[in-house]
Amino acid sequence: MAARSLADYFAGGAVRLGVTGLSRAGKTVFITALIDNLINRGRLPVLRAAAEGRIARAYLEPQPDDAVPRFAYEEHRAALAGPDRHWPHSTSRISQLRLAIEFERAAAWGARASTLTLDLVDYPGEWLLDLPLLGKSYAEWSRETIAAVRAPARAPLAAEWNLFLSSLDPAAEAEEETARKAAALFTAYLGKARADLYALSTLPPGRFLMPGELAGSPALTFAPLPLDEGVVAAPGSLATMMERRYEAYKTHVARPFFRDHFARLDRQIVLVDALAALNSGPTALADLENALVEVTRAFRVGRASTFASIFRPRVDRILFAATKADHLHHVSHDRLEAILRALTGRAIARAEGVGAAVDVIALSAVRATREAELRHAGEILPAIVGTPEKGERLGDQVFDGVAEAAVFPGQLPEDPQAAFAGEALAQPEADADWRFLRFRPPATAPGAPAPHIRLDRALQFLFGDRLA
Amino acid sequence: MSERRPRPRAFRLDDERVAVDDAPAPAAPTAVVRSESAEIPAFADEPLDDAAHVVAPAEGARRRGRLRLSTLAWTGLGGLVSLGVGLWVNDLLQRLYARAQALGAIGLIFAALLAVGVVGLAAREIAALMRQRRIAELHAALARARASDDREAARALVARLAALYQGRAEAARGRAEVAEASRAIVDGRDLIDVAERALLRPLDTRAQAEIATAARRVSMVTAISPRAVLDVLFVTAQIVRLTRRIAELYGGRPGFLGFVKLSRSIFAHIAITGGMAVGDSVLQQIVGHGVASRVSARMGEGVLNGLLTARVGLSAMALCRPAPFMIDKPPGVADVAPFLFGAGKRG
Repeated sequence: MAARSLADYFAGGAVRLGVTGLSRAGKTVFITALIDNLINRGRLPVLRAAAEGRIARAYLEPQPDDAVPRFAYEEHRAALAGPDRHWPHSTSRISQLRLAIEFERAAAWGARASTLTLDLVDYPGEWLLDLPLLGKSYAEWSRETIAAVRAPARAPLAAEWNLFLSSLDPAAEAEEETARKAAALFTAYLGKARADLYALSTLPPGRFLMPGELAGSPALTFAPLPLDEGVVAAPGSLATMMERRYEAYKTHVARPFFRDHFARLDRQIVLVDALAALNSGPTALADLENALVEVTRAFRVGRASTFASIFRPRVDRILFAATKADHLHHVSHDRLEAILRALTGRAIARAEGVGAAVDVIALSAVRATREAELRHAGEILPAIVGTPEKGERLGDQVFDGVAEAAVFPGQLPEDPQAAFAGEALAQPEADADWRFLRFRPPATAPGAPAPHIRLDRALQFLFGDRLA
Repeated sequence: MSERRPRPRAFRLDDERVAVDDAPAPAAPTAVVRSESAEIPAFADEPLDDAAHVVAPAEGARRRGRLRLSTLAWTGLGGLVSLGVGLWVNDLLQRLYARAQALGAIGLIFAALLAVGVVGLAAREIAALMRQRRIAELHAALARARASDDREAARALVARLAALYQGRAEAARGRAEVAEASRAIVDGRDLIDVAERALLRPLDTRAQAEIATAARRVSMVTAISPRAVLDVLFVTAQIVRLTRRIAELYGGRPGFLGFVKLSRSIFAHIAITGGMAVGDSVLQQIVGHGVASRVSARMGEGVLNGLLTARVGLSAMALCRPAPFMIDKPPGVADVAPFLFGAGKRG
């Protein structure tokens, strides 16, 4: 690892940008929009180098790792801008791309042509949930998971799994059939909890939801068991088999992922889909907070130095971005940012404590709506206009994915803590003060990048200093 | 928090019961941008504390008592003088009329011309002073809005900044850039940065060129001029010209009174920054002067006068600029007049 870092260091001008986010946070769209805006010269007034006209051009380069698939930028872009414009499908495998930016330095000793390479990695957000597992034993993980499943908020979701769980005896003889059934039911529960209605986030292990090429292998065929503390499982028992498989999962799945993609980053953007959790209710929000804290604990944060950048790369800038900011009017963005700040408060405190720079923004890499003023029944409401996805509903309206609509999504609370108060999960619409619909991607002129909200600010924060 | 919050709701645009009043392209936010003549939000009643109004508070308080007495005295004197002038004009006219009707009429016309001219001058002075004051306010308010990242305040202020350069053809591109950024969703801090870069940076470049030219000219003329009196006159004239040019560049257009006020601020500014800029210019000043003066006393004086000019120019720049230096470092003497140090070394 040090050898690779050393090579990068002498090659000069490379930024390894970590794009982190749980599933559906918008990683793929963010990467696609980033590349699109830099290559096709989108409007980025806040990215200083772009606004000053110092970026000569940006182009895609072959990625450094030959064994990793290429990020399908062209396909994702076509999906967003094509005739039946739709969001890219959820990512099922890891992919990589390198973007080279040719620019002129604005340094005092005269302009100087230079190149910055940007390494981008896209991966299924579900896998991120594996990082916290690295520090946990099977027994610990089992206890936590079972406690969560039995909590009142999640119990109805996991009824079937709970029933099966109570019939399991950890000391019984190991049988493949039992293990498979347990894994299948556990996976079904995880899938259900992730659905839009509930929008829960802390659902490890991630490969259960997005197995990639490992589907069906023993490393993915295990489930938590009710283990008593201090009891050593007998050889040949179900508990021993499960534990061995859990460890195999950590060694063969979680650790390589962490080593290859998280240990060597310079800058980090954490995309958070706070709106889905807000839709579901305070429990989902608390769950999201929990997941974020566990994930950000895996980052190596700290002030950058020459020594550190070669031998132990550290993340010296972290940007927390609430994605899909186009789903609400810009007057609410400050409140969304406040909620995100509250969500990531612990992670921010930790990063700032060791000298990393942190910023929090409301972001929309591809802006699907425009803003409008809605006058109705004597009220003037800040609204957004866009095409809601097919099947989205609000009140008595059901959308067909064709008609445009003006939507007032409700007001976020002024005090961010108010959003966390309560126990609700999968709130019915009538109880919530807000409801965020999902919109289709915007129709854009061919060749031109889609509009965005604060993408330029994000880029300026993430690598604007390297383009100085 | 028991007040009723508006419920989320949606309206299909193709519903015939929904009227769409769509402004061209991005709808609502363009329409709610505050008008340019609006008061500067929330900052108007706070005292200004930027460098343009450097008065130590304790001294200000003490001066208030004296100020009232001197105001009294000046008011009295002013009243007497204007009465005297009025009496004298009246006498003159009466005597002219006594001499000949036509002469009196001519005298009356001249008096009227004088009155119109004086009123016009006074109006221009007042307008110039107000203009300067507005710029100083803008300067402070922009700094504050940027610090607090206030989107609405920034939008209003940036619109005023753009309005300041409304008549300048060469700023068209910058104005368009700013207008576009204020229509889009850009945060307060970023918007102000965009405006500073688009509107003020070209002016900065020109102001720096002005300073460099003046400094070069002053150092040259001082080095070759035969008489010390001539130097002093020339340096003063150059400094006055430079200050005016810079004020005009940034949109100040000071009249006589404005100029007097500006020069007082500049001296205050130099007194403050001169003490702080030890690392930058004072050391270079001593070194540059030392080397040059060993070669020739005249040349050393030339360098010194050039430095003085550059210093005054930079202060004028910092004071006349409608926004503080935020994205760039404020230029130092070495940035605008590197040749002064180069000349020392070469000599």
